[in-house]
Amino acid sequence: MNRLGLVAPSGVADNTLAVSWHDSAWIPILNTTNVMEYFSNASNPFFDRTCNNEIVRMQRLSPDQLENMTGLEYVLLHVQEPILYVVRKQHRHSPQQVTPLADYYIIAGIIYQAPDLASVLNSRLLSAVFHLQSSFEEASGFSRYHPSKGYYWDFKTQKIPEKIKPVEKEKPKEDSSSLFQRQRVDMLLGELIKKFPLPSPPQQPKTTASNAVKTENTNENGVEEGNGNTKEKVEVKQEKTGNKPPPEKKPRLN
Amino acid sequence: MENRYEKIEFLGEGQFATVYKAKDIETDNIVAVKKIKLGTREEAQDGINRTALREIKLLQELDHENLIGLLDVFGHMSNVSLVFDFMDTDLEVIIKDNTIILTTANIKSYTLQTLRGLEYLHLNWILHRDLKPNNLLVDSKGVLKIGDFGLAKMYGSPNRINTHQVVTRWYRAPELLFGAKQYGTCIDIWAVGCILAELLLRLPLFPGESDLDQLTKIFGVFGNPTEENWPGIKTLSDYIEFKPFPIIPLKSIFTAAGDDLLEVIESMLTLNPVARKSCSECLKMPFFSNKPAPTVGSKLPLPQSIRKIAEIERPSLKRKLLESAEGGTLSKRLFV
Repeated sequence: MNRLGLVAPSGVADNTLAVSWHDSAWIPILNTTNVMEYFSNASNPFFDRTCNNEIVRMQRLSPDQLENMTGLEYVLLHVQEPILYVVRKQHRHSPQQVTPLADYYIIAGIIYQAPDLASVLNSRLLSAVFHLQSSFEEASGFSRYHPSKGYYWDFKTQKIPEKIKPVEKEKPKEDSSSLFQRQRVDMLLGELIKKFPLPSPPQQPKTTASNAVKTENTNENGVEEGNGNTKEKVEVKQEKTGNKPPPEKKPRLN
Repeated sequence: MENRYEKIEFLGEGQFATVYKAKDIETDNIVAVKKIKLGTREEAQDGINRTALREIKLLQELDHENLIGLLDVFGHMSNVSLVFDFMDTDLEVIIKDNTIILTTANIKSYTLQTLRGLEYLHLNWILHRDLKPNNLLVDSKGVLKIGDFGLAKMYGSPNRINTHQVVTRWYRAPELLFGAKQYGTCIDIWAVGCILAELLLRLPLFPGESDLDQLTKIFGVFGNPTEENWPGIKTLSDYIEFKPFPIIPLKSIFTAAGDDLLEVIESMLTLNPVARKSCSECLKMPFFSNKPAPTVGSKLPLPQSIRKIAEIERPSLKRKLLESAEGGTLSKRLFV
């Protein structure tokens, strides 16, 4: 079981985490009753057509039969109409026992695979290191040396910032995470930190951690008011951010 | 009926015979007794009914797990009766039972058993010529046996002409529909391909209403045959030109079938009989060795009617089996 769980995501994770899929014809009519049909579209890269769902569909059997089968199946795990649907891919061992393999969320009609914690941390560390490195590179472009003065900063003569700008414009494309993903992950990480406070004796790390979460929240609120969409009462935060198409929410990079 | 066999119940009646379920008193085995009807006086003049003769002649020579076994033949007055292995059900019943799920593993098991039996037949120079779900018999242990050898025939003589009016239409190969009089094992393979498709879809793939409609349905999927993909087609006696059809990819028909399975279907349902794979070639295809493994006989699904009887007969054993099976998964869970 354990092996199954590990093998499946790591085998495909590299490509499936970086892709999304949608069919624009379906997006306006998506609802709880047809979302699974939308997900079972043959061109959806997240859908394995040899799964039990497709066998039941091909043989025109009752969908209730899924419970009696063993093997790969997809279930609708969570619905937050009209914007968010979560589909789970799982391996069924018996009517009572299943092993989850992956989750997919359909937000505003676009399907993404939910990343596992390891790839989230990985990606965040990588982006932090990347930005640190670029800031060092940028800073080193302004440093000068003169035998009489030694090292000094020269911000006037160089026009490097303009050179760097085009590079920065490309970055949002490479960045596969949406605002929703980042906020969601921040929330999860925040919860994790609350549950497992850092062990170090001084209080500093703890406060910085909670600060980081706070700043995220305020940012988010700021954006929300801008677009002002308040329909849902429960879990308002998620709902609103979800309502906006994720790609637009890219300008803020760290 | 001879004294050795004790009639249990009436099973069915066909054009040439009546079938009873009976008990063999000597061995205590349950058997099926097929009592051949005498027929008209004209037929009787020729001696024994031709289909029965074929069955007796061929089955006496054959012995394979996946072929129906002819256990005994006896005559009483002017009647002839054949004694066969008793089979609980057949693939037609299984396909039509909507409470049954046919998983890839189940389908693989049925196809594998059919091909094994058929391979043995073909290696012994015999064509079955009437393969259809109804003639693939399954017993309660999940063993599939090819039955009804009423149309079976030796093949291989280059100068012998055969009739093309064989095989139930839905499973009839295109060369037969075009009137071929010399044909080989490929006609049985086409039928197996159609049966495999039917196991997947739970509906016949080509339910033609006439011979012409049958060809229309076939070309509606595979496109029209040409001299390129089927050299010599125009020399067949009943050949006619059809209006052009677009090819429908098998992937869009068998939406849940993996690529290895589609490959098998494609090589069984190849229009050109010469290019169609043989049983032995089909059995070597990756689908049969790939995961999932074919379901073992005892785990194959049984139709509702037989399931109920089995439960009444041995509930304690079944519960025991279930319990041990659940215990197995539990221990697995603990270990992982």
